[in-house]
Amino acid sequence: MSDPKDPIDPFPTQAHPPVSPFPPLDPPSDWNSGADAHDLPTRENALVALGRFAFPPAPALDEEGAASRARRWTSQTLFVVCAFLMIFNAGSVQNWARQQPPGWGQSTVDRLATVWVEQLELLGADLPVEGLRQAWREFQAARFDGRTDVSD
Amino acid sequence: MLFPTLAFAVFFLFVYLVSWSLDRENGRRKLFLLLASWFFYAQWDWRFVGLLIASAVLNWGVAALIVRSDRAGRRKLWVGLGVAANLIILGFFKYYGFFVEQAVDLLAQFGWERDLPLLQVVLPVGISFFTFQGISYVVDVYRGKTAPAESLLDVMLLMSFFPHLVAGPIVRASDLLPQFARVPRLTREMATHGLLLIVWGLFKKTVIASELATRLVDPVFFDPSAYGAIDIAAAVYAYAVQIYCDFSAYSDMAIGIAALLGYSFPRNFDQPYRAASMQAFWRRWHISLSSWLRDYLYVPLGGGRKGLWSSCLNVMITMLLGGLWHGAAWTFVAWGALHGGAQVVERLGRAVAGDRKVIPTWLGVLITFHVVCVGWILFRAETFDLAMQMLVGLGRFETFSLVTPFVLALIVGGLAMHGLPPRAVEGLAERLKTAPSPTLGIMIGAAILLVEAMRPEGVAPFIYFQF
Repeated sequence: MSDPKDPIDPFPTQAHPPVSPFPPLDPPSDWNSGADAHDLPTRENALVALGRFAFPPAPALDEEGAASRARRWTSQTLFVVCAFLMIFNAGSVQNWARQQPPGWGQSTVDRLATVWVEQLELLGADLPVEGLRQAWREFQAARFDGRTDVSD
Repeated sequence: MLFPTLAFAVFFLFVYLVSWSLDRENGRRKLFLLLASWFFYAQWDWRFVGLLIASAVLNWGVAALIVRSDRAGRRKLWVGLGVAANLIILGFFKYYGFFVEQAVDLLAQFGWERDLPLLQVVLPVGISFFTFQGISYVVDVYRGKTAPAESLLDVMLLMSFFPHLVAGPIVRASDLLPQFARVPRLTREMATHGLLLIVWGLFKKTVIASELATRLVDPVFFDPSAYGAIDIAAAVYAYAVQIYCDFSAYSDMAIGIAALLGYSFPRNFDQPYRAASMQAFWRRWHISLSSWLRDYLYVPLGGGRKGLWSSCLNVMITMLLGGLWHGAAWTFVAWGALHGGAQVVERLGRAVAGDRKVIPTWLGVLITFHVVCVGWILFRAETFDLAMQMLVGLGRFETFSLVTPFVLALIVGGLAMHGLPPRAVEGLAERLKTAPSPTLGIMIGAAILLVEAMRPEGVAPFIYFQF
């Protein structure tokens, strides 16, 4: 409902409040025109109340608690990133291992990565990335005259 | 150890896990971060870790002497000595050979052939950044703008903290020391923002900057006489994109890495090629350096307080020294002179035209971008001769050989980044911060995999490492 006194109200409904044709009540009415039936307290579902009783919600986190939860969430995210890349980007680990000085650790990492890369190839799980890489290389090799550069 | 490498990823994960496991002991956490930073720096040259330590001890000691001095004259003396000592360190390692060569040439012109002691001084990586940080710390303590550090450990970590150590941003004591006072609080927003900045930086550096460098910029700048106008013009635009993508990528990754460790660094780039004037360009490009030069050089020189001509002179001096900061070569001084000169012209223009808008914004952006591009020729060319060959070559119309659809797409894409909403990464982080960790982890992992599929093998050092 628009307020006629509000200067920014774009559509004032009335210039002045209506004048009641009835004499004022004595004592005045307790009718609350601003009240809404939805504001009245409603009865809580019994199951919800029971659940709340059985498993009371944790108190609101303090600053330290919130920071701790954010740290846990970040660590989990980083863990998922690492796991995802270890699974689908083992080729990088393989490349890295081949650039290291030879030794037991280097050869172990290299062999593990090589086996994993081959297993992924057998599964066909490398196809999306290889497809993208191939398309990217073709784009790199394209020339304005329609030829492709074999060096790419 | 470069950011976009597997070795750095392993190093960072180790630092992340150990540093947060020390979250109840701020002192130990800082000590661990300091040791990790020294280890990181030692991967370039372990001998210069001593220089880093000496520089931190020097600045901590000078700041302590300033605080303990009760006489204004003595405080002034200490700050002067502190700044001079920092400049001597920087001058010796970075400019010794340059100035000796100039002195030999000068003496030879007067008929004095002298064998001055020429030393092959190895430039410690990041020296320009950590000495500027040291100077700002001493001056800020003198001015009362920042409280002296609680301990030597804080000053050492301030100057050595590995995310900003080798190529900035120049994080001031007033920004970082208060954050060292307690164990930082990580928020989801910081973490998401940090992760997105790392991926975005990885893309800009390894895909755009690296490809443009190897396919177009390096060959053309190496021998401009072998190419025609289209290749040369494309190489200049490509270098504008390359240096932006390279340096802003480093800054983004530094800010992101620091954010994951709980620290907040100031923004260093703000879509610089959107600037409609040279003054605006310097408010958007390498913000930590331009604000440093403003606060510790331009303002002490008098700034704009003494009238138009004085402010023009001060801008010119500031930009010349800013150019020299980038490297010990006359091409960098000329680059600074071009930027200073352009800003002087703008100031004079504003003095004549007042508040009237003389040229439309789009034209201002176009002119500013091209003045900046001319500056990049001086910045990138090894010698004045090569820079002149580039400029002359712009008038030599021949068939092009290096411009391909791929290179053109990278240039256009690099420039189109400036059309993104100004706070696009922050906006995306705000949306993603409520995502479950597995979802966000897979999204980030897939994005890195995408970048890995597109990037060339190997990674070149960042351009600003040489400064």
